[in-house]
Amino acid sequence: MTPPKAATAETLDGGAPVGGTEELISGSEAVAHAVRLADVDVLTAYPIRPYDTVMQYVSKLIADGEFDCEFIVAESEHSQFEIVKHASTVGARVFVGSSGVGWLYAFEALAVTAGLRVPMVAMVGNRALDDPGAFGVEHNDALAVRDLGWMLCWVATAQEALDTALIAYRVAEDPRVSLPCALSCDGAFLTHSQSIVNVPDQATVDSFLPPYDRKEKLLHPDNPITIAPQANEDWVMEIRKQSDAGMRRARDVITEAYDDFGAKFGREDEPFIERYMMEDAEIALVGMGTLAMPVKVAVRKMREQGQKVGFVRVRWFRPFPVEELQDALGGVAAVGVIDRDYGLGSAFYGGVLAGDLRTALYPLEDRPKVVSFIAGLGGREINTDNVITIAGMVSDAAEGGTTDDQDTYWIGVRE
Amino acid sequence: MSETTVEGFGEFVETQVLDAWKGPKKVPHEEFFTSGHRTCQGCESAQLMKLMAKAAGPRTIILGATGCMYVANTTYYSTPWAVPWMHTQLGSAGSAATGTAAGLKALMRKGKMKDEPINVISFCGDGGGADMGLSAISAALQHTEYNHLILMYDNESYANTDIQVSGSSPYGAHTTFSAPGKVQRIMNRRWKKNTAAMLAAGHPDCKYVATVCTSNPVDAMNHVRKALSIGGPTFIHSLDPCPKGWDYDPRYSHELGELAIETGIWPLYEVVEGELKMHGKSRRILRGQLKRKPVEEYLMRQGRFAHFVQEDIDYFQGKIDQMWEEWLIPGVIPFSAGEES
Amino acid sequence: MSTGSVEVIYRGIYQKTLAKNICRGVVFAARKEGKIGIAFGRYSDSPERNGIPAKQFAVVADEQEELEEYLSRYEPDNNDVTIACDDTLCKGVESWAWYGLQPINKLLGENGTLLVTSTQSPNKLINFIHRKASPYDLALVRSEASFSGLWVYKDDHTDVRLLGALAKVAPHMFSIDSMLAAIKEQFKDDLKVTSAKKSYDDTEAQPVSTEQGNEEVPYSFELPGWKEMEEGIVIRGMDMSKGGTGKDGSYVPVRNEVFKKFSTRTMRPVINFETCTKCTLCWLNCPDTCFDVTADGLYDANMEACCGCGVCEAVCPVKECVTMVNEEAFDDNDSQWAMWTKDKDGYGKWLAEKIANQPARSHGFHHIGQYEEDIANDSA
Repeated sequence: MTPPKAATAETLDGGAPVGGTEELISGSEAVAHAVRLADVDVLTAYPIRPYDTVMQYVSKLIADGEFDCEFIVAESEHSQFEIVKHASTVGARVFVGSSGVGWLYAFEALAVTAGLRVPMVAMVGNRALDDPGAFGVEHNDALAVRDLGWMLCWVATAQEALDTALIAYRVAEDPRVSLPCALSCDGAFLTHSQSIVNVPDQATVDSFLPPYDRKEKLLHPDNPITIAPQANEDWVMEIRKQSDAGMRRARDVITEAYDDFGAKFGREDEPFIERYMMEDAEIALVGMGTLAMPVKVAVRKMREQGQKVGFVRVRWFRPFPVEELQDALGGVAAVGVIDRDYGLGSAFYGGVLAGDLRTALYPLEDRPKVVSFIAGLGGREINTDNVITIAGMVSDAAEGGTTDDQDTYWIGVRE
Repeated sequence: MSETTVEGFGEFVETQVLDAWKGPKKVPHEEFFTSGHRTCQGCESAQLMKLMAKAAGPRTIILGATGCMYVANTTYYSTPWAVPWMHTQLGSAGSAATGTAAGLKALMRKGKMKDEPINVISFCGDGGGADMGLSAISAALQHTEYNHLILMYDNESYANTDIQVSGSSPYGAHTTFSAPGKVQRIMNRRWKKNTAAMLAAGHPDCKYVATVCTSNPVDAMNHVRKALSIGGPTFIHSLDPCPKGWDYDPRYSHELGELAIETGIWPLYEVVEGELKMHGKSRRILRGQLKRKPVEEYLMRQGRFAHFVQEDIDYFQGKIDQMWEEWLIPGVIPFSAGEES
Repeated sequence: MSTGSVEVIYRGIYQKTLAKNICRGVVFAARKEGKIGIAFGRYSDSPERNGIPAKQFAVVADEQEELEEYLSRYEPDNNDVTIACDDTLCKGVESWAWYGLQPINKLLGENGTLLVTSTQSPNKLINFIHRKASPYDLALVRSEASFSGLWVYKDDHTDVRLLGALAKVAPHMFSIDSMLAAIKEQFKDDLKVTSAKKSYDDTEAQPVSTEQGNEEVPYSFELPGWKEMEEGIVIRGMDMSKGGTGKDGSYVPVRNEVFKKFSTRTMRPVINFETCTKCTLCWLNCPDTCFDVTADGLYDANMEACCGCGVCEAVCPVKECVTMVNEEAFDDNDSQWAMWTKDKDGYGKWLAEKIANQPARSHGFHHIGQYEEDIANDSA
C-alpha cells in the first residue's frame, strides 16, 4: 500500500476545516457521527453507562434514515462483541463499544478478536469496574486488554473523538495492521458533556477512509477458507509473532494516517502524544484522557509563577509511543505520571501508565526520575490544586527532596 | 425464493430453496465436509457435519463453536471443510449466526457485495448450546430478519474436554465429573434439558425447530434443507451417539441412535411456524403403532450406564413413561393441564 | 545406565487405562529399588480420540537431577523400550495433533527393544515396521490387542504381562522381583503376579538389523515459518477442484493430504462387489467420507482415508457384502475395486481368504458383562 496523497489546494483554505458542519454535541454523539461517516455496516449495542449514549444517538440516526446499517441489540456484551467479530469476517465494517464490567463481560470476545486480527473499532466509555458499582471514569477497563493485540487510544475532546474514530478505522483495517482498536473516552467528562465540534462532510471522509477490504481473508463461498482452526504448540508462537509484527507496523500506519488526516481535514495533530509547554520544561506531567484540561490550566498557572512545567498527553497507549516519549521527556529532570487507574501490587504499587513509561525511559542514559500518582478514580475530580500539588512533589523529587520515585502517591484520597 | 426481497433495515431477505431429497439414491455425490478430520472412529457428529454440509451445498458459510467438531475437525494447517468455515467461541453459536447473517445482509443491501442467498449455519455441541450459549441462541432466534440455522450436535457431554457432564447429559451417566464412587452411585441427578422444545415454545416467531438423529441420514439432511429454506433463524437439535463418551463399539453408532428413538428417549419432531409434527418412528409411537422398547435395551449397551442397578433403570423408565403418558404434548411439552385450565 | 525411559504407544481411549497401568507400573517397580520416576501422557494427544494413536511415557532415574535432565525436552526420545499395545501400530503412527506418519520405532534408542502385543510372527511384523538407522530388538507378548472403552476396563492381564516382559528386556531399569512386588502391591491380585512372571519367562527378543523392515519413507511435512503462514489464522479450505466427478461418472471427493487417518485403523472393510446392491448406505453413513463412487455405481472404500470404524459393515443390508477384517491381513492401501475390475475371479478368492482368516477383534464395549464373558472364553 502506498501512502495516500496529500490534500490539494482546492480542498484546504489556509488550514481551516473543510466542509462539514458545526455542531454542539457530546463526545458520544461525535463518535456516532464518525460511525455514520465511516458507513459502518453492522453495529451492536447493549446498555451500560456511560458508553451507551453513543448507541442511543446511532439508533436515532438509523430511525431517522440518516444512516443505513444493521443495528442489533444483543443480549449481553459477550454476544455484542461476538456478533460484530463475525460480521467483520464476511467483510462488514463494524462498530461496538462498552464500559467497565460490560467490557470485561466481553473479555473472551476481546481476546479472540485481537487473536483473529479482526479490525473492529470499539468505543470504551471508561468506567470504574464493579464492585463497588460506580459510573465514573477509571481506565482499568480498557487497560485490561493492553497486552492482547488491541490498539488503545485515549482522547480528550469530542472533536478528537470524532477525528480519532475515523483514523482508527483507517489504521485498524490497513492490511499491514489488521488489529482491533479501542477508542477510550472518559466517562461523563467526555461522553456526557457537549462542546462545539466540526462534523466533516462525507466526501472528505471518503477521500480519507478507503472501503474495508479483507481480500484473501474474506469468509465467503467464493473464498472457501477455514478461519481459526484449533492450533497446538507447533503453531501458536508463529501466530502470535504475526500479531506482534502487525502491532509493530501500526506505528508507521498511524503516522501516515495523521499526516493525511491533517492534509485533508486541516486539523494537524501530532500522532501518539500531545506536547503542552514542553519546549523548555524542567519537569513534566504525563497523563491520558480528559485530565488534560485541569492539568493544562494548572500548568499555565504554574508557568505564571515562573515554574517551568510542561505536560505530555499520551494519545496512543498501544502501540506504546516509546520514541516520542523519550524525545519529549528525555531532557527533563523528573516526570510525574498521573494515572486514572491502579496497578495493585505492581512495581512500586504504581499506575499502569507509570510502569510502561518507566520502562520506555529506562534505556536513556540521563533518564528523569519518574514519580507515580494515582488520582481521579471512580470519576473523582482532578482539580488544578491536585495538579499543583503533584507538580510540587515532582519538583521536590527532581531536587532530591523527600518525594520518593520508588513509591506511588494517591492524590485526593481522604485519609 | 421463499421471501420477497424488501430493501431496508429490519426486513426479510430471500433464502435458497432447497427441496427435500426423496431417498438416498437422490442424494448428490458432492462432499463439502471431507477427510482430514481427527474425530473418533464412528463419530456420529462428524457424520452429521458431513450431512449438514452436503444438505446445504456450496453457497454456504459454516460457523463452529468450540467443541469436538472444532478441535477434532480442524487442527491448524488441516481442515476437512470445502466451504468457508470459521471457529466461534463456546457460547457464541447464536452470535456467530447473527453476526455472519447480518454482515452479509448489510453488505448486499448496501451494494457492497453481490446479492445472492448464502446459507449461514452455526453449530455447537450440547455444552455450547444447551449450557453456555443458550442466551445467545435465544437472542438469535428473536432476530427474525436474519436467515440462519443453528444446529446443536448433542453427544450428551463436554466430549472434547474429556467427557464431563453437561445440562444435556442423561440421568446417572458416567462422566469424568460424575464418576460413580464407593458411596455415591449416581453423581448426575439432573434430567436432560429439553432444549429444542424450550426454544420452540419460547420463540414463537422462529419458523422452524426440529429434532433429528443421523441414524436416518436422508431425513436429517432434509430437515437441514427445510430449515435453510424457510427463512429467518432456525434451530435443529441432533442426538449424536458418541462411541467415546457413551462407551460402545463405534460400529454400533447408528444402532444406538435408532434405539434412542425406539425407546422414546429421543422423540423426533418439528415445529413449523407454530405447528408441531412428530415424524418417523416417534410418530408411530405417538399413534400407538409402535410399542416403545424398554429403555434397558438402550442403557445396557453403553459403558456409561454400566454401574446402573435395577432401581436406576426403573427410575429412567418411569421418567420416559411420564414423557409419553403425562406430558401435555407427549415427548415435547412437559406440562399437564392444571385443574383451573 | 542410570536413567531409563519407556514409551508406550497405544490406541486412544481403547487402551488409555492399559497404558496408564503400564507407565505407573514402571515407576512403582523402580521405586522398589529406591529409584524415582515419572509417568505422563503426551499432552498433545489429549483429548484422545477412539483408535487414534496416542502415547504415554515412564521415566525412572537414580537421582532427581538425572530425571530432570532427561525430562528437560518435550518428548523423551532415545527410549530404552517402546511398547506397542497393538501390533497394527507397527504400520506407523499418525497422531491427531502432529503431521505425518511416525515409524513405530522412531523414538527408540540404539539397541533398545520394541515390545509388541501380537499373535503374528515376528517376521511379518518386521515387514510392517519402517527401517531404522540403528539396530534394535523386537520382543513379542503373545496376545491379541486388549481394547476396552473409557469407563469399563477389561482386566485381561495385558498390563501385567507387558510389565513382566518389560522386566525381561530392560533389566537395567528394575528386576523382575521388584516388578512382581510392585504388581502385588498395586493390584493385590496373586493371579496378576503369576501372569507377569509367566510373561517374563516366555519373553524373548530377537535382533532387527538396519537392513530389515519396510523401506517406504513415511510421509512428513515441513512446518512453515510465521512469514509464510497466512495472517488472521487463515488456512485454505479443501480445494474441490482436486476431487469431483470424472468423465465416466465416478466421484472421488477431495482428500486431505496433511492428515490421512488410516493409522487409526485396526480393521478394514472388504467389499464383495458382486453382491452389492448399490443401496448407498455405506457411502452415505461413513463419517470419514472414505468411499469413492465408482463409474459403475459401486462404492470403493479408500484405504488412505478409512479409519476402520465398522459403521459401513453395520449398516450394510446384504450379508457379508461389507466385512471388517483385521488390518494385519493387509500390506498395502490399494483400491479393492481396481483389483476386482482387473481380475474378478482372483478378487473373489482373495476376498474369501481375507474373510475366512479374520481373527476376532473388538473395539470395546458392547453390553454389560461382555468383558467377563470374553475373559472366560479366552481362558477356556
